Amino acid sequence: MYGIRIPRRDVLKAALYGGTGLALGVASWPAAAAEAVNFADIGVGDPGGDWSRYTRASGGSGVNLVSIGNGPSAILNVLIAGGGTKTYDIINIVGGMQKPLVDNDLIEAIDTSKIPNWAKDGYVAEYLKPGTPGFDFIGYLGKIYGVPTVLQGDSFAFLPEATGQLDTYGALFDPKWKGFVALEDNYTTAGQKTALYLKESKQATIGDPANLTPGEVKAVVDFLIEKKKEGQFRTLWSSFEQAVNLLVSKEVKVLDCWEPMVFVAKSKGIDAVYAAPKEGYLLWAMAAYIVKNPARTPARSKATYDLLDFMLGGWYGARITELRGYMTNPLAPAYAREHPDEFPADKAQRIAAIDAGVKKKFEKGGTWQQRWPTNVETYEAEWARFKAAPGG
Amino acid sequence: MNTCEGARPRVLEAVLDRGRIVLLALPVVFVATFLIAPLALAFAISFWQRVGFRIRPAFRFDAYLDFLSGVRLFVLERGVVVAAEVTAISLVLAYPIAYFLCFRVRREAARVVLVLFTLPFLVNYIIRTFSWSWLLARTGPVNQALEMLRLTDHPIDWLLYSDFAVLLGLVTSYMPFMIFPIYLSLVGLDHRLIEASFLLGANPWRTFRRITLPLSVPGIFAALIFGFAGAFGDSAVPIILGGTGYQLMGNAITSALDVLNYPLAAAMASVVVIVMLALLLCWYVMFDLKSFLGKILYWRF
Amino acid sequence: MTIRPLAQWLMWLALAAVLCVLYLPLVPPFLFSIDARGTSAVGERLTLRWYASLPDNPVLVGALGTTLVVAFVTALAAPALGLLAAMAVRELRIPRVILLLVLLPVFVPGISMGLATALFFRQLGVPSSLWSICVVHVLWALPFATLIILTVMATFDPVYLEAAYMTGASRWRAFRDVEFPLIRPGILGAATFSMILSFNETVRTSLVQGPLNTVQTYIWSTYLQVGLSPSLYALMSLLILVTVMLLLLSLAIGRRVTR
Repeated sequence: MYGIRIPRRDVLKAALYGGTGLALGVASWPAAAAEAVNFADIGVGDPGGDWSRYTRASGGSGVNLVSIGNGPSAILNVLIAGGGTKTYDIINIVGGMQKPLVDNDLIEAIDTSKIPNWAKDGYVAEYLKPGTPGFDFIGYLGKIYGVPTVLQGDSFAFLPEATGQLDTYGALFDPKWKGFVALEDNYTTAGQKTALYLKESKQATIGDPANLTPGEVKAVVDFLIEKKKEGQFRTLWSSFEQAVNLLVSKEVKVLDCWEPMVFVAKSKGIDAVYAAPKEGYLLWAMAAYIVKNPARTPARSKATYDLLDFMLGGWYGARITELRGYMTNPLAPAYAREHPDEFPADKAQRIAAIDAGVKKKFEKGGTWQQRWPTNVETYEAEWARFKAAPGG
Repeated sequence: MNTCEGARPRVLEAVLDRGRIVLLALPVVFVATFLIAPLALAFAISFWQRVGFRIRPAFRFDAYLDFLSGVRLFVLERGVVVAAEVTAISLVLAYPIAYFLCFRVRREAARVVLVLFTLPFLVNYIIRTFSWSWLLARTGPVNQALEMLRLTDHPIDWLLYSDFAVLLGLVTSYMPFMIFPIYLSLVGLDHRLIEASFLLGANPWRTFRRITLPLSVPGIFAALIFGFAGAFGDSAVPIILGGTGYQLMGNAITSALDVLNYPLAAAMASVVVIVMLALLLCWYVMFDLKSFLGKILYWRF
Repeated sequence: MTIRPLAQWLMWLALAAVLCVLYLPLVPPFLFSIDARGTSAVGERLTLRWYASLPDNPVLVGALGTTLVVAFVTALAAPALGLLAAMAVRELRIPRVILLLVLLPVFVPGISMGLATALFFRQLGVPSSLWSICVVHVLWALPFATLIILTVMATFDPVYLEAAYMTGASRWRAFRDVEFPLIRPGILGAATFSMILSFNETVRTSLVQGPLNTVQTYIWSTYLQVGLSPSLYALMSLLILVTVMLLLLSLAIGRRVTR
């Protein structure tokens, strides 16, 4: 009468849960045999999913690409909190993050002797020499930590049919375009470009736009707040898609952005031009770091170094330049030219043009983006003040 | 098994009872392990001291002072105000819809309409929100339609990158969530109570005010929580649809984490949780628990 | 009691208007997905190539698999736990405390919850994997599921259970045969809710994803850094299309059964 009777339905449910659990457990078992390098990437480093050449070159290793965000908190927290040091082998992000990464023991120094293509990469020798600001994108305290997979110079974009030709960052703050300007929500790009402009136009006393003192940061933000009160800015953008949309929908006429956005806008039929400002460019590089993991097997280590070498190679460089519009390494344009079966003539030409264009930017110079300035917290607090200020 | 009634069944019942309690405690244990323990750690960290990149156990209010006396407090205020506005607007929209679907529409049709309300959520939230920024742009279809209808002669700026856009984005994101609990509580109402009210001579408005509305408070409670918590914690709508520098608490916390300021981020999160708990406690105090748990609290076995 | 047909029509109109506003943001992705250049200038060059290119993206395909598995698990686990939590609220002596605890995940900002949970996993030495993603999603969906089930339970009259016990049913039998059918809409609603919440969960997942991608974290990452490929819009449109077709199918089957 009071017997425990387990209804059929409950047994079925238990079997369902149990079976699912078992299946999931089996499914999440790591793939056997072949090495797969866990490659955390912000999206730029994805060559369209085709890693076959790497697999061939490295004797069977594969790549498991994980898409992550580029914000410092996204990266640092994934590594510090999310157990990323045990999971990821390489993280490929915009460089200059060595200080927080090394100080938190998250990445290891790179042995460039294990990367044959390193010596062939003339850009490293030319732009990222030790002792120059470029080195800060891949090195720290004299050691190399990052492999520069992408190099680029930033300025801003404009719609010539609305504004005519523009050649100074002052256009971003020109009252003529009031309400039709947008900046990036990033104090190390928009903030630094503003500082460069204020310095060159002598509107503020600034020593090095790449590393502002607290007083200088405050001056830059005061200027920005004044402009915000006047209604100069339509919005602050925080994503690639948003910036492209601002151009394509002609919501703004002058846009502080990255060059690939102009390429995408052009592909959608919008006549947008990336400016060549007289103050110079904001130069930066992407760096592929090796995540520190003492438990990494020698086989995985070798696969990791093979991948780094592959990323400095001709095919990868050409593919990334073709897909994303950034300059990669010197082998890329030559590879594209010599392999018309993989890169038809027009694509090879485009790759060569992008390469030449970015080289010109580096010649002109400007200021190297500083991703982790000495007073980064003041930057963040002041930028919060800019964002909280009342708008026009 | 046992045929002897009396002492044995009581033991069995006791075992079953204890087993049952373990089972019932499962969700609480789950939340306690995976959320409370981490939250407690985060709360503790908000008092710690920063030494370079590391944080050292301490007991200081620096992070809280930094947060509450600085510009970020404005973000918190705005968050509460915006969430309240969104919840109010959404409730005013959701309740009539739920009422209509429950009382004036056939069951099958109501079910179909409810499904229609859930479909948009299959599309990724970022894509949906971003769509609004395309729709409301100066050259976008909404402005074009307005100009075509001669309602305006130039594009309206405040449709996008403004408080209006953020409200629109948040209301369209969370209002459908709020329809369901209200609908469920209305559908479960004993219709005889309403009939009795009419039989006793009350007009429809009186019936609604005295019978239907109070009995649907459980659903309203759930809806308010969905709406307020959802809007308050949203971090995508502010940066996609908001004006220059518009941000809510989620964005502010991310910004603090960007410079590895864990105590500040933890302090901000703790304040958010405390504010929400305070609101919940207000509700507990203002409304008798019986009113929103209904018959549940008459449970005796 | 009938109301004037005009009022009825007006309400339907208002309802339709609200639905239109809610569906408006679904139109641009669809337009983008069939245009050759991925813009809204539809009519120039219509194409289905974005749909065709979906299987070519291994990261996206993997992410889709992960997302579906996680959504399935969440839709099973969250209502189950929510049911237990609702029963705990009504049977244990501390309803207010239990309710508070179960509602906690809703009160914590997304990034804080993701970070705290990730740190916790790390302390325990639990590697980020499918399980950590599932835990986070179930945690997030639990309060919603619980509240929905509580709402339905609040209308359930315990007198029925009393009647069941009086006719000799055991607790489990009474629950299964009497209570469960009456609160089933709530449980189904909770499952649907949980699945939807899982489908839209981005920030908390990004910190515990480990070597896996979900569709949401993938979209978030590409949205931020390289722009959304129109194939993603194609995926979203496909999702809606498939769901609508499944719905129509189930409606048709339902009609046939009742006939």
